[in-house]
Amino acid sequence: MVTNVTNFSRSGLYDWMAQRVSAVVLAAYTLFLLGYLLANPGMSYAEWQGLFAQNWMRIFSLLSLVALGAHAWIGLWAVTTDYLTPMSLGKWATGVRFLVQALCGIMMFVLFVWGVQILWGI
Amino acid sequence: MILFFGIAVLLWGLDKSLASEQGFAEVKECLSSPLAKLVIWGLLSGLMYHLTAGIRHLIMDLGIGETLEGGRQGAKLVFIISAVLIVLMGVWIW
Repeated sequence: MVTNVTNFSRSGLYDWMAQRVSAVVLAAYTLFLLGYLLANPGMSYAEWQGLFAQNWMRIFSLLSLVALGAHAWIGLWAVTTDYLTPMSLGKWATGVRFLVQALCGIMMFVLFVWGVQILWGI
Repeated sequence: MILFFGIAVLLWGLDKSLASEQGFAEVKECLSSPLAKLVIWGLLSGLMYHLTAGIRHLIMDLGIGETLEGGRQGAKLVFIISAVLIVLMGVWIW
């Protein structure tokens, strides 16, 4: 029975590429935010709100959130398929692994919708 | 896994800090407590290690440091660079 069909794109090579592209996006966003916070110590609410009120910042943030969803899925898929196996869990492994992956997927979806609400709710 | 759950914490902070001036002040207040600082430092530590190790992956994808010796040196470099970054993050937070 094929029990290992939950990877992101059903192609290892495409997953590999998606993981790297999303990594670059996330690295850029992380460094930008850290840099911004470091450059603006004691920032006021108006400044902080103003940053996220700009359209490019919202798009950059949403892009990063999408990248995060893909990146986290591929990463957690690798972890779950490495460790939640019949070797470690016996005959229930496939069910357990699927459940854990489903929980991760739901959580990512929740985080994504929440992020959209934050970004466009201000 | 910690980073994954950490995103929820960070989103909470973003939500509250952007929602209102009062929320912003509350998040600031919360971040001044030692426990919150420790949590944020822990998160940033995980993120910094992940980021350096990830950049090493990208460099190795370019064909640099792919030998056994290069792999060992790269791993050591990742430990040193991320340790420095983690200490710097600690200095920044406190």
